[in-house]
Amino acid sequence: MVLLIKRTPSGILLILANGFEILDSEEERQSSYDSDPGNEEDTPAEPTSAVGNRYLQQNASDSDDSEEQKRVIRSAKDKRFEEMSATIDQIKNAIKINDWVSLQESFDKINKQLEKVMRVTESERVPNLYIKALVILEDFLAQALANKDAKKKMSSSNAKALNSMKQKLKKNNKQYEDLISKYREKPDIEVSNEDEDDSDQTETMSDNESEVSSDSGSDTDDNPDVRDLNMIKKKDTFMDKEFKKDPRDITWDTVNKKLKEVVAARGRKGTGRVELVEQLSFLTRVAKTPAQKLEILFTVVSAQFDINPGLSGHMPINVWKKCVDNMLAILDILNQYPNIVVDDMVEPDENETQKGADYNGTIRVWGNLVAYLERIDVEFFKSLQCIDPHTKEFVERLRDEPLFLVLAQNVQDYLEKTGNMKAAAKVALKRVELVYYKPQEVYDAMRKLADLSEERDDVESEAEESKWSDERRAPPSFVVVPEVVPRKPAFPESSRVFMDTLVSLIYKYGDERTKARAMLCDIYHHALLDEFSSSRDLLLMSHLQDNIQIMDISTQILYNRAMAQLGLSAFRNGLFTEGHSCLSELYSAGRVRELLAQGVSQSRYHEKTPEQERLERRRQMPYHMHINLELLEAVHLTCAMLLEVPNMAANTVDSKRRVISKTFRRFFEISERQILMGPPENVRDHVMAATRALSQGDYQKAFDLITSLQVWKLLKNKDAVFQMLKDMIKEEALRTYLFSYAAFYSSLALDQLSKMFGLSESTTHSIVSKMMISEELHASWDQPTRCIVFHDVGLSRLQALAFQLTDKLSILAESNERAVEAKFGSGLGGGGLDGLPLRRRDAGDYAAAVGSGGGGNRWQDSQSYNQGRQGGSTMGRHGGGGKPFGPGQTSGGGGGYSRDRTGQTRGTVSYGGRHSYQSGSSKMDSSARMGYTRAP
Amino acid sequence: MANPAPIRSFLQAAKAEEVAPALRVVQMEGLAILKIIKHCKEFSPALVTGQLLGLDVGSVLEVTNCFPFPNREDDEELEAEGANYQLEMMRCLREVNVDNNTVGWYQSTLLGSYQTVELIETFMNYQENIKRCVCIIYDPSKSNQGVLALKALKLSDSFMELYRSNNFTGEKLREKNLTWVDIFEEIPIKVSNSPLISACMTELEADTPVAQGDLDRLQLSTKPFMERNLEFLMECMDDMSQEQQKFQYHYRNIARQQTQQQAWLQKRRAENMARKAAGEEPSPEEDPSNPIFKLIAEPSRLETFLLTNQISNYCNQINGVAGLSFNRLYLMKALHEN
Repeated sequence: MVLLIKRTPSGILLILANGFEILDSEEERQSSYDSDPGNEEDTPAEPTSAVGNRYLQQNASDSDDSEEQKRVIRSAKDKRFEEMSATIDQIKNAIKINDWVSLQESFDKINKQLEKVMRVTESERVPNLYIKALVILEDFLAQALANKDAKKKMSSSNAKALNSMKQKLKKNNKQYEDLISKYREKPDIEVSNEDEDDSDQTETMSDNESEVSSDSGSDTDDNPDVRDLNMIKKKDTFMDKEFKKDPRDITWDTVNKKLKEVVAARGRKGTGRVELVEQLSFLTRVAKTPAQKLEILFTVVSAQFDINPGLSGHMPINVWKKCVDNMLAILDILNQYPNIVVDDMVEPDENETQKGADYNGTIRVWGNLVAYLERIDVEFFKSLQCIDPHTKEFVERLRDEPLFLVLAQNVQDYLEKTGNMKAAAKVALKRVELVYYKPQEVYDAMRKLADLSEERDDVESEAEESKWSDERRAPPSFVVVPEVVPRKPAFPESSRVFMDTLVSLIYKYGDERTKARAMLCDIYHHALLDEFSSSRDLLLMSHLQDNIQIMDISTQILYNRAMAQLGLSAFRNGLFTEGHSCLSELYSAGRVRELLAQGVSQSRYHEKTPEQERLERRRQMPYHMHINLELLEAVHLTCAMLLEVPNMAANTVDSKRRVISKTFRRFFEISERQILMGPPENVRDHVMAATRALSQGDYQKAFDLITSLQVWKLLKNKDAVFQMLKDMIKEEALRTYLFSYAAFYSSLALDQLSKMFGLSESTTHSIVSKMMISEELHASWDQPTRCIVFHDVGLSRLQALAFQLTDKLSILAESNERAVEAKFGSGLGGGGLDGLPLRRRDAGDYAAAVGSGGGGNRWQDSQSYNQGRQGGSTMGRHGGGGKPFGPGQTSGGGGGYSRDRTGQTRGTVSYGGRHSYQSGSSKMDSSARMGYTRAP
Repeated sequence: MANPAPIRSFLQAAKAEEVAPALRVVQMEGLAILKIIKHCKEFSPALVTGQLLGLDVGSVLEVTNCFPFPNREDDEELEAEGANYQLEMMRCLREVNVDNNTVGWYQSTLLGSYQTVELIETFMNYQENIKRCVCIIYDPSKSNQGVLALKALKLSDSFMELYRSNNFTGEKLREKNLTWVDIFEEIPIKVSNSPLISACMTELEADTPVAQGDLDRLQLSTKPFMERNLEFLMECMDDMSQEQQKFQYHYRNIARQQTQQQAWLQKRRAENMARKAAGEEPSPEEDPSNPIFKLIAEPSRLETFLLTNQISNYCNQINGVAGLSFNRLYLMKALHEN
């Protein structure tokens, strides 16, 4: 440090500034507050030059003996500095006599000297001396301009010089804006530390302290606070200068001008984002009219959004909270002055905000509440994405959720009051999206938390109030807005009620996307509350599965999530077939993580570009919204097992023919191929082991294996589900047993069978009878002996082949049909109804041609499937025309649904209720292709 | 090889070209047939081929002799060897005063599954050199049932024309009025023996009223044959579905392209309206450089045609065999009753 001090005088300033910053800058600052601006300029200036000179001399005398070469260079430098300081002296003299002509000359001179200095020192840094001169000039200029009387008295040449000086200085100072402001913050410290020793410093410190406290009335003594305060004050310095002196003088114009200035600086290089916010929030305190305050608050909020530059990072949490506060303040104003209208369509009049609180007409202020709210939501979401979910920070952050909900609720209330229902629907969607994934327990917890935090907030805010009172009081707010907006969130008892009110509002007023999203959230929430049937009805009548592919990715993710939840719900209700059809699509590609946005899966075959990866990361769901994947997998595989095991047993001849779950089959094949079977470890192993047990008819082992999984503890009402599962496993075990071993029996007693599988005789009887009716089992009852008598109807190979051939033929005929449809589809117009009889006739011919009796039968099966498809497509066509949603349909079974029903029955003449659902679900499957997977 | 005699004048040659009568019948020497049967049966179920030698006389193609090709394996060297062998063989045969004109080839088949692209290609190859050639197909599996399963095939002229241009779009086919039946033409086969041989045969013929062939014909078990047929038929159906899917895909693409074109046109029209309003020249409504106006190539229908042929072939076989089986069954029933 000593060495550096010797090198250059400008270095002294720098290093000393660093060294003594903490101690001295404060007192300097405070002293500069106290002193009259006029005096301020003189006091530090003179000693500086003197010190500089003295130092130079010292330098010269100090280092003359050894380094001659260097000294020459140094002296050249010094000479320049000397010249400069001399010019500064001249400037000061000119200031004293208010001689602008000579000032102008010296200004030009000092600029030239600066060039030389820069050349000599070969540095990028402008010497502080020069900056100091600029500051002096600037201050004097401001003073001269402010003093209008003196200006009038000036001679013409002098006034002319003043004007040109004003312009020159403005232009010139722009280059050094940073340095000047820096200099203003910590002006030449060497004044104090050169001449005064440490004791003096402490003295002045305490002096200043007392001065400050007396000055502002209520300064506390603890240091960090003072520091904080100073930090803020420092930034506000130039504001203070203008506004602090006499608050009553501040007019609307000055504030407006300042605002324009600050806003113009926004986004420029060198404008600190944080400082900008500070400046703006200072301005809010001095705003003259409510409208102006509103305007400034809007700029504050948008400036706060700017603080975080990147797309990937999130807004600092404290800024976020402040932002929410600001939004609440905005709402307060808006509620208090209902004549103020916020609008982002029209460019309001320049002086619109000048109209005071007592103005009667409407005042238009530019702004968009919904957009801000959405942005706040996005930032909240992002912060949850970024924070590690296993830290306390994450939990803390989650606690802020009620805060946002309150804000959203208030905004929505306000929008509803002003009649902007469309925007209100958007806000309602935001609220829905925060709640839909919460089961009742979590919802209750949130409600409790909100109540609690409210109380605590009251206390805290009071404390905070007192803590920051000095700051708030220092420039007293002109527009005092009492809190009119209720800060307490009003949550209804049950989340269902909450959802219902919001969702019905959205259905009534929202646009297409909002409605679709709300519908998906609704479906999800219904499913979460185990209301599978209403949830399924909502999904089917909304026809979301038809056009989900063309929606945006985040909606597609939501759709996938809703489907997953639907599957879980079906499982909890014991509807295993439905559960499987919901989940199988998710698992078909093996990218369930990606589809639910709960993690990135690495693909072996194509590398993702960093761009894609970033995009994907931005889509991820925060941890607390995740659906447990292990549970999902367990549910999916269990459902698949229950369907697939009897199916495999039934079709041993050609197992490839009818595959229900390809994924399950693949897993099973892999596990079959294993030579050494270890004890099951993960979910898949358990299910595979259970599958093996089940296919041998060992239902108890299968059940035990499945229930030994740990994930089930995440399941609601686990015991009831287990009971259902056990019954189901028993049934399927019975069916599997009959399929596999019927050929080896000639008869089988009913009580034996029911004992084997622990089922009641009536259940066994009904299952076996069902199998007989559907011709899965070739047997008949022998009532007197209560036995099943098996018929030996093993197919010859030729017959089996004939069956296969008919299947193939039906597929071919169907695809032929489709090809015709594709070609003449538009010509048929009125739907496939006209084509239907024709096809039927053809089908009859084919069936006759195929000959063998069973063939015809099977054909009919597949044909009825065709009709189902046909019916489905016409249904889609019918439903697509009208709007799928109507008000009040959330309770289920509204008009739209029944209309769909009729559409369906028109398409398929002889259809039972259950069948029609199945055709719907099969359609659902085929069209539920996840668009997301395709998206690049 | 139609060696025009050097003595013939050009005029004569031209005249001969003009009036080349259509091929009516293939007249086969008993010797050639026996050689074919022997060769095919020995190697069954592997498929074998051989060369047919004979003379082209007016509307009759006489096949007087043949020789087998060595078992072909996919090797360049072997192929060259095969060609050498062929030449050598022909030279040798000429030396013993056998007809050494190539008039086609014979091949064995399994259950009549011969309608393939390879066959067509081979045929086209032969056709290049020999104006009138024929393919004899022998099916040993069918012959087991007491029928002489011998067929003489040639490609129809219209099909060959189309094949040369390699353009099997639906439009062209309609233009030519060509359906799947018209690919192959079957030519009746007439077996002729020299009187000397006929005399010898009558001399040799046993006095028993029933020949081996008659016994074969009475065999009741047709199951394996039917099963095989069905299996092949199913394979064909699978292939057929695949072809169908290709077309569906094609139509989907076309539909998509059309909507794109429409959208583009609409946009262009709107632009033009705006341009008109601004007093500028309207931009053209067609933009050939735009990829959405590129024609999507229609998939070839050749494969479908062949498959259809194949399927009809299988169906005929099944029908035939089933009919015969019924006859036999009734016969058996009557016998039992008696």
